[in-house]
Amino acid sequence: MSTLSIVIAIVSFVLGALLALLTIPVLVWLERRIASLVQDRLGPNRTNVFGFRLGGVVQSFADVVKLLLKEEYYPSHIKTGRWLFMLAPVITFSAALLAFMAIPFADTILVDGEALRVQALPIDYGVFWYLAIGAIGVLGVIFGGWLSHNKYALLGAARAGSMVISYELPLGLSILSFIITYNTIDFNAMVQWQSGTFFGFLPAWGILVQPLASIILIVALFAETNRNPFTVAEGESEIVAGFMTEHTAMKFAMYFMGEYVAMNTASAVIITMIFGGYQIPWVSTEMMLQNFSTFAIALMVSVPVIVFLLIKWMRKNNTVRPTVSTDGGRNFETKVLSIALISMTVLIEVILLYLMFFADSALANSITVMLFQIVVFVVKLMLFNIFFILIRWTVPRFRYDQVQHLGWVYLLPLSLLNLFITAIIVVGVT
Amino acid sequence: MLEISIFSILAIFMLGGSFAMISNKQTVFSAFGFLVTMIGMAGIFAMLNNQFLAMAQIMVSVGAVVVLSMLTILTVNAKEENLPKEPHKYKWIIFSTIAVAPFTVLLYKTLTTMDRHFSEMATIDSKVLGSVLFSKWVLPFEILSILLLAAMLGAIVIARKKS
Repeated sequence: MSTLSIVIAIVSFVLGALLALLTIPVLVWLERRIASLVQDRLGPNRTNVFGFRLGGVVQSFADVVKLLLKEEYYPSHIKTGRWLFMLAPVITFSAALLAFMAIPFADTILVDGEALRVQALPIDYGVFWYLAIGAIGVLGVIFGGWLSHNKYALLGAARAGSMVISYELPLGLSILSFIITYNTIDFNAMVQWQSGTFFGFLPAWGILVQPLASIILIVALFAETNRNPFTVAEGESEIVAGFMTEHTAMKFAMYFMGEYVAMNTASAVIITMIFGGYQIPWVSTEMMLQNFSTFAIALMVSVPVIVFLLIKWMRKNNTVRPTVSTDGGRNFETKVLSIALISMTVLIEVILLYLMFFADSALANSITVMLFQIVVFVVKLMLFNIFFILIRWTVPRFRYDQVQHLGWVYLLPLSLLNLFITAIIVVGVT
Repeated sequence: MLEISIFSILAIFMLGGSFAMISNKQTVFSAFGFLVTMIGMAGIFAMLNNQFLAMAQIMVSVGAVVVLSMLTILTVNAKEENLPKEPHKYKWIIFSTIAVAPFTVLLYKTLTTMDRHFSEMATIDSKVLGSVLFSKWVLPFEILSILLLAAMLGAIVIARKKS
């Protein structure tokens, strides 16, 4: 193992941890801002550090500080098993966090003839890992709900548990039909399979190759993550906060963050399995590496355009109403962020120019492609998180019996049928 | 050395978990003990370089068995005073341990001599396992699935309302 391969292993591990953990404040912020957008208001946008608001992201850090400093108290009626009561949120949180670790952020990179995986855990059975570790998460909900010794918590836990069990079947069956189609259980190989074309012109993304299984996968993952329209485990009007009724302060925050990490993991699984993962359509990694100069020129043209549009959008929106006399440091923030963005663009251009004309190193090229793929992955991940949030704020909730009905009567037979048809087609083709 | 220490930690977890499972009165803690034991066993499978088996262990034992038993515990929701009284629990545990000790020795002897009768196997990867399961072992596999189907039908018949 060379030094570079160790560096890449460490970087991909840190990247996995950061992508899972640092997206929590961003997701909380996105949730609140998009909810506001849907409801025609602004949402939290005042909190700042030295005038920097970053559109309100700073609010999430203030929330974290609040939750950390809150008074912890335990319900006095819990006599035995207080340790398990406290451990339960940690089980949910860490299961969601660990399940994220098998997602590839970029294609395998060749260093000294050694193929290195750019994923936090370099394993080739990612789908299995996700299914196995993801299934532990619901245990935290059940333990927490049972040990609260509270009718609402008990009902919430029972609902969450039975819903997850009934949706694990369609989820597993739809994933099985993807495994049959892609002929692998490795997330990275799945993404590579999707870099080809389908019918000659469509990108071979899972959603186009397996439309029914994709829809079932998305619906089942919505249920697995307890997101709307499947929020039956908690409901203000029926069972208060469900399984987390008795959990306070940081224990509540663990459940809360676990939900966001699970949502992030679910989006990562969706984009990896059916939306081409870290790849942009029609362009595979080999193509980018072979035509590196074309790729670099395209990047050099598109980055300034994107940054220009971003700065223009920021200048238009990062202002106060004309009737307000002080701008609260908003002009200053716009100026600093513009300078930072422009200097970043210049740096990228210089590096790309250097790589194109002066350095002729295949390794540097593949590292550039890797970084580009990581950026594509993060953009897709955020788009899917926004999709999750938009669904939550536009679609009404299901009733509990409707949830079970949908799972057992529609999704399970449909996924079985899809599996059957897929098997017939795959056997017929080969 | 590292291997031995990881193995010991996993073994301690497994022993503790299984003891907690049989000695606890509250079923929920027994379920937690079972969970710890199963995760420890998956860890030992992973240490033997058989990740497929480890993942399958977690998926089946934790994802299905523990979750289902927890759901049963939630549905029954037995109160503390309704649980059966077990005054001689530890005596039972000790004497049954002594009673099965000869069989444990027999099992130990069998298992330690058994590895000579197996040829050296290459690392099991999921592709090889799948193709062997669906070519050489397809009949036993199907018979097992009929057994499972019969069990499922029996459960449905028991649970169905009498009209």
